[in-house]
Order: sequence, then structure tokens, then C-alpha cells
Amino acid sequence: MTPDAVPQTGGYMVAAYIVAAVILLAYTVVLWRRGGKVDRGS
Amino acid sequence: MSLLRRGRWITAFALLLLGGIYIRALVFTPEERLQGLAQKIYYVHVPSAWSAMLAMGMVGLASILFLFLKDPRYDRFASASAEVGTAFSLVMLTTGPLWARPIWGTWWTWDARLTLTLMMFFMFIGYQLLRGAVTDPALRARYAAVVGICGLVLLPFIHLSVYLFRTLHPQPIVLKPSAPSAPPAMVITLLSSFAVFTLLYVGFVMQRYAIGERTHDA
Repeated sequence: MTPDAVPQTGGYMVAAYIVAAVILLAYTVVLWRRGGKVDRGS
Repeated sequence: MSLLRRGRWITAFALLLLGGIYIRALVFTPEERLQGLAQKIYYVHVPSAWSAMLAMGMVGLASILFLFLKDPRYDRFASASAEVGTAFSLVMLTTGPLWARPIWGTWWTWDARLTLTLMMFFMFIGYQLLRGAVTDPALRARYAAVVGICGLVLLPFIHLSVYLFRTLHPQPIVLKPSAPSAPPAMVITLLSSFAVFTLLYVGFVMQRYAIGERTHDA
């Protein structure tokens, strides 16, 4: 790597963005399903 | 419209905005020269840490109010905020090592900031385990409130840990007395992400509070 080259760290960024999205979407689904059960029960 | 439905709409809107943040961060925000693309992990890691700390702060404040006023709504709110905080802590604790590996050369180090944020995650987990273990609602609320207040006490140490201890963790970029130490395009992306994660916190808590309210199981 030359001194001015930007380090190749894109893979870590992609992994972080995917992990964050998966956790937040999974929690959204969990809340949606629990809310649905409560809605039907009331 | 019920609280649950409003919470759902806010969450859906916030997730849409989060998609916008991803696009802005990936396409329209400049790449940092020394860290490369890994620096863009900041735009999800730092706001998730903010939301986790906001959640813990709200758990602590609601716990104090519960102990003074004995209003179960505060206990229910604290419980909702703790669960949501766990989700944001998980984002923080997974995206952090993904940044640290290429930049520090290690996934994890027992640095003051990292250790304290891990403690906060365990406090969220402990808070919920405690709630699950105590069957008497009045006792459960009181014990949980004490744990919630301990979590609130932890927050200033987390924020100031980068000043108080010798640490590898970068110092605050925005939440500090002086001007932000990043170019405006990066600061705008970061601040927008802060706003979206805060909105996501609000949407999640509204849903979780409504679920707790209807099941009478805070």
C-alpha cells in the first residue's frame, strides 16, 4: 500500500450496515407480531 | 388511532428514513482518507450508542419518578425503554467491533469505554431478567427501579470515560463543548442519523409500552 492509498475496509462497513439493519428489522417484526397478538386478544 | 398503531407508523417512517441515511452515508458522504470505508460505520454505531444511552437515561428517570409517585405508568415506560435499549445496545456492540477490527487490529479490547458500554448492555439484560424473576408486581417494579437508577448513574461515566481514562476509543465528534471535529458533510450525515435513531427509539417504545399496557405485563 502506498502512503496515500485509502485502506480497503469496505467489507467491514457492509457487514456492519447489514448487521444493524437485520437487528432493527428483526426487532420491528417481533414488536409487530406481539402487537398483533395483543390487538386480536383485546 | 391507538398508541400501538401510532408507534407502528412512526417505526415504519423511521425505517424508511434509515434507508435514506444508508444511501446518504454510502453515496453522498465523503470517504475518510485514513480509515477508508470503515469510517462510515460511525453513522450507525454512534447513533445506536446514543439511542441505547437515551434508553438507559429514560429507564433511570422513569424509575426515579416511579419510586416517588408510585404511578405504574412510569414502571411500564421504564420496562419498555429497557427492552428497546437492549436492541440498540446490540447494534452498538456488533458494529463497534466491525469498525475496531480493521482500524485497531482487534475485535475487542478491555478499554474503559468498551467495558462500560458492555456493562450497560448487561444492566439492560439484568433489568429484564429481574423483572421476569419477581412475580409480585409491586416488588418487581420497586426492585427494577433500583437497577434502572444504577443504569442512570453509569451514563456519565460512559460519556466521560474517554476523558477520565487512558483509552483507545475515539473522543466525541459532536457531543462536546467545542465545534464538531469532522467536515460538514460528515457531521450532517451523523446528525441526521442521530435524529432517525431517536425517532426509531420513540416508535419502538410507543409500541412496547402499548403492548405492556394491554397485557398488564410491563
